[in-house]
Order: sequence, then structure tokens, then C-alpha cells
Amino acid sequence: MNSFSLKIVTPDGLFYDDKAQELIVRTTTGDLGLLAGHMNCVAPLGMGRATVVIDGEKRYAACIGGMVSMMDGQVTLVPTTFEWADAIDVNRAEKSEQRANKILSDKNASDTEIRLAEARLKRALVRKSVANFK
Amino acid sequence: MAGVSTKEIKNRIRSMESTKQITKAMEMVASSKLRRAQAQVVASRPYFELLSAAIAKIASTGQDFSSPYLTVRPVKKTAYIVIAGDRGLAGGYNSNLIKLVMSEIEGKDAAVLPIGKKAVDYFRSHGVSLLTADYALAEEITLGDCFTLAKSLCKQYLSGEFDEICIAYTNFVSVLSQTPATRSLLPLQPEKDRSAGSSDILYEPDSTTVFERIIPEYLGGVLYGALCESRASEQAARRTAMDSATQNAEDMIADLSLQFNRARQAAITQEITEIVAGS
Repeated sequence: MNSFSLKIVTPDGLFYDDKAQELIVRTTTGDLGLLAGHMNCVAPLGMGRATVVIDGEKRYAACIGGMVSMMDGQVTLVPTTFEWADAIDVNRAEKSEQRANKILSDKNASDTEIRLAEARLKRALVRKSVANFK
Repeated sequence: MAGVSTKEIKNRIRSMESTKQITKAMEMVASSKLRRAQAQVVASRPYFELLSAAIAKIASTGQDFSSPYLTVRPVKKTAYIVIAGDRGLAGGYNSNLIKLVMSEIEGKDAAVLPIGKKAVDYFRSHGVSLLTADYALAEEITLGDCFTLAKSLCKQYLSGEFDEICIAYTNFVSVLSQTPATRSLLPLQPEKDRSAGSSDILYEPDSTTVFERIIPEYLGGVLYGALCESRASEQAARRTAMDSATQNAEDMIADLSLQFNRARQAAITQEITEIVAGS
């Protein structure tokens, strides 16, 4: 299979900078798969699982926010947070989910609080589901 | 006895010693914080650069659409995000940045969004209109805060509350050199050479949506990058300032010790002369 060069960069640092054969990411409008030779494209990322195929082996990650771009054969993934499945802290996600649920069930919570809690809940659920894909 | 009494000099030496201990301790704290901040800058820089490069490329090739983020409006009101420190005693770190901002906003209708206690205090006491003072502690701002802030700024920009958003921060050039800088964030100014590269880009779902989703993220990223740079600069500036303060204290103690010994010697000599003369 043809490979392309892939760069994964977050504010916490460079996660990956090497060849890959396939990249599937969750964009705001659904999953987007990229193979070598794809035309130039740009898409904003949603929250979900990212799959990277490296030397025929699939690696999964929780990938939230940011954007992905394919420019002249170079794929750049710039998410807000990116965690490989084996690096996800399931306990933390669990706690975060509980906290979010607590706020959501609170009738006195303000709109901003609810919005933040919803986002937190979504992130926690994504992390938990990706962690099962080790 | 010559000039100052030995006791007085001794007291001054003692107080100098304790000041030196404080500055020395502060220097050490700053060094250890600097190391952490520096690692953060190094880690966040590639993100910062890639994001800017990607946005610049999209903006320069996207002739086929217009976005409010790209249109330059006549500037009536400017928003300035000013990232300074929470504490003083960092050499010219805070004052250099604030001076730069004051010279830029002079004569303009500008609102300032200060980050860092020093900036909040300064702009408040000088009657500059503030957007919000919610982000008073630069130490405690997280990546999440940056994105929330970026989103609300974008909303205000789109609703026409400001026509320009600038950011003022301190560039971390090296441990010894930090330069205050301002940068215009919105509207985006695409690079001039539009001939470069292929302009065929597939936008998923479409260019306007992509732009509207990505710009707040980009702004948040830039904000975070600038924050990291500023934090590292603050620690570096403090370290340098405290290092030279310690140096000064050492010099002064050396001078005073010399004076003290001279005074002591003079007192002894005088005593001997008196005894000899008396016998």
C-alpha cells in the first residue's frame, strides 16, 4: 500500500511524524478516511476515534477538536487533544463522566455550566469507548 | 573615629545579607519554573507553527469564498489581548509590554483584555476600558480557558463589537532575551503571493463552514502559544533580574566589609595612640 507522511501535533507536543498508510478521523460531518494520493482537503474535527494504519497495523486514538488537512501529499492532523488508546486514563474519564452527569442532573445549573458539562461528558464517553480498542 | 560607626556598617551588612538571600531564593525558584515553562514552549511551538501555516495556506488559496474573518473592515474599535505577569520583580517584563501597548492604543478606540494581575491593575488604574478581568491570573489559565476565550472573542468579532483583534505578548527569544510584541489576529491577512500552489482544495463540508469552525480553534491555539511564550519570558526575566540583584548585593557587601574593616582598624589605631600618648 502506498504511504503518505503524517504529522500529528497538539499543544502538548508532537505525537507522530512519520509514514502512514491510512488515516480515519471523525470530522464534524462524519468519518473521513485519507489514503495516499488523496486530493488536497481540509476538514474540522469533531470528537471521536481516530484510526491510523502504520505498516499494516492499526492504532487507535481519541482525537478531539482541531483540524485535519491534506496538502500536496502531506497530512497534518492538529487536534486539540490526542491520546493513543493505551495512554488513556480510564479512571479519569470515568470520574469526569460522573462529575458531568451530576451537573447535568442539577436543576439549578446555569446554561454555561450545562454546556461545559455536556462537552465534558462527550469527551469522557469518547475516551472510554476508544480505550476499549487497545 | 572615621566617618560612620562600625556598628552602623555592621547593621547595613546584615540587612544586605538577608536581602541577598531573598533574591537568591527567588532566582532559584524562577530557574526551576523557567525550565518547566521552556519545555512547554518547545512542546507547543510546532502546533502553533503548523496551525498558522495551514491557516495561511487556506486563506491564500481560498479566493473563491469570502468570510467575515477575512474581510478587512474600517477599524472603529480594536480589542487588545494583553498577556503580562501576575507578579512584579521581573525586571522590565511587565513595564516593557505595557509601554508598548499604551503607545499602540494611543488615540485609538480600544478595549483591553488583560491577562495577568499586573496588566489588570495597570489598565484599571489608568482608566483604559476593559473587556473582562476574569482572566486575572496568568499562571492558572489552561488550554480550555484559551479556547473558551477565543470562542467568545470570535462571537464578539462577528457581531461587530470590534473590527480588529490584536494580541500583545512577550516573545521568548532565549533565556537572556525576551521581546514584547504585538500581532494582529483578526481579520486574517492572507499572504500576498496567491499564485503559489494549487488552489484546488476540497473543503468538507464546505469552505465557509470549515473556516467558521477552524478560526476559533486557531485563535485559541495562538492564544495558548502566546501564553506559553509569555510565561517562559516572565520567568526568564525574573531570573535575570534576581541574578543581577544578587550580584549587586554581593558587590555592596564587599564594599561595606572593606569600609567596616577600615573603620575597625582606625578605631584600634586610635586607641593605641591614646594609650601610648597617655603613658
